[in-house]
Amino acid sequence: MISFLTAFPLISSAANVTGKSRTYVQSRETAGGSNLLPLYEYLNFSVQNLGSETISLHFGGWGRYDLMDKSFGDDNYRSEVQYLYLSFRGETGNTIVNLGRIMVFEGVAAERADGIYARTDLPGNFGVSAYYGAPVETGIGRLGSNSVYGGRLSHQSADIYQIGVSYLKEERDNSELREEEGIDLWLHPINKVDIVGKSVYNSDTSGWREHTYNLILSPIEKLRLTTEASWINYEDYFTGATLSAFSFQPSALNRRERVFILGEDAALSLSDTVKVSVDYKEYNYVIASGARYYGGALKYAVAEAGEAGLTIHRMDGDTDRHKYMEYRIYGLKKINKMDIALDLMAVSYDSPISGEDNAYSASMIAGYNLTEKLRMGADIMYGKNPDFDEDVRVFFKAIYSFDFGSGEGV
Amino acid sequence: MLLSALSVIIYACAGTQSIAVKHPVEVTGLPVCSECHTDYRAAMNHTDDFYTRHKLHAAQGKGKCLVCHKESFCSDCHANIEELKPSDKYKDSPQLLLPHRGDYVNQHKIDGRINPAKCFTCHGRSNNERCKVCHR
Repeated sequence: MISFLTAFPLISSAANVTGKSRTYVQSRETAGGSNLLPLYEYLNFSVQNLGSETISLHFGGWGRYDLMDKSFGDDNYRSEVQYLYLSFRGETGNTIVNLGRIMVFEGVAAERADGIYARTDLPGNFGVSAYYGAPVETGIGRLGSNSVYGGRLSHQSADIYQIGVSYLKEERDNSELREEEGIDLWLHPINKVDIVGKSVYNSDTSGWREHTYNLILSPIEKLRLTTEASWINYEDYFTGATLSAFSFQPSALNRRERVFILGEDAALSLSDTVKVSVDYKEYNYVIASGARYYGGALKYAVAEAGEAGLTIHRMDGDTDRHKYMEYRIYGLKKINKMDIALDLMAVSYDSPISGEDNAYSASMIAGYNLTEKLRMGADIMYGKNPDFDEDVRVFFKAIYSFDFGSGEGV
Repeated sequence: MLLSALSVIIYACAGTQSIAVKHPVEVTGLPVCSECHTDYRAAMNHTDDFYTRHKLHAAQGKGKCLVCHKESFCSDCHANIEELKPSDKYKDSPQLLLPHRGDYVNQHKIDGRINPAKCFTCHGRSNNERCKVCHR
């Protein structure tokens, strides 16, 4: 970390560095009998006020070293840069220019790319954004032959609506892989009513791949009603996948399948600390038989002291394999610098899966804040399910937050 | 990119105040944004249903998310390559609605049949090396 910073003489004396180092060790056994003990280091930091108050640097990445059997492939180590970009941020106009390994969430785009992203407000309550780069995806990434680019134009009234139209195109080896257009919407027509959603059109297959909209109502302060309506066309949705599970074949996905999902979630606060909720979701397929998932939850929470929850759900699907009851109970208690938690989950299948009627897991968790910046924690999970007669996992963590510099960064 | 460059040049014309880099008041727990805000931010109360619809808000620009969250918060789930489940990293926050809790090897076969689009978002084109151990 220190050597990294010394490599950047441009960092002014006013620069402010904030970040977090997270060290994890996980002990578990694979289904194949390997004993894994990987050591992970996750590091993220931001350098603000990098020569100018409007310029900053952001990094996030991780590395893994296997202390016992190899976790993946032939190597017992691996590292990954999740993001690393230089950012310019204007004091007005919400102007942002990011350069490097970036994450883009703009309309139809939810992409990670090595490239550039820019956005700004325009006169008349318009906004515009654009991006271009080499997609950072599994199995590809050669700059030049692979590219992803697009943009979004939006208009908003901060109190009433924001609507955007967006475009994305991805090319792999100079041939078109994806081309999508979309509309995104947030609408607040009257007090206590919100609608948020998006529609995405697949130009490659010439069909709408998705319509997803949520209606959120709060008729009284302590009651929230959320209605979800979602329509997905498989042929237009699962294009450009790098995983065989999403390929169209009889054993995986039916190209002609479509699903309309309708759900309702109602939550009522009985007091400042107790909340009860019920939810129902229905899956209506064009080809397969439908499924329903419904249940309820009771939660208790006291700020800075702890929380507890109980949830019960029923999945009522088209086959015996898709029929089960699901139970979860958890509790978290904070005692000064220490916190302890218990998390119990159980699934009861209507028909045995691999000879098992049930699956369950029990986790005990403990954490301790040694200082304001250093936290240590550990948990142990015991489970039994159709894939493991006995699944025991132990997890250790050490989290160190750092913040140094002038503290005057933007 | 030409459009973007042009926009940057004329951004001053908009005259709008940029969103805060950091939330001026420290927020603890799951925030109820509507306690203070009445505009688009009021719709971002982190109620239980926000877990399933946060993607819709992020699609309208993640700048408002970064007022409170570090980018690493997004990357913990939305990664190119990620080997640790979010529910493992945040097991000490059982109140969070995180995917893949407990036994997910068996459960994913059910969830994947019921709504494969939910899997595709994170594992369709990235973060699927662990999936490929079986789904070759």
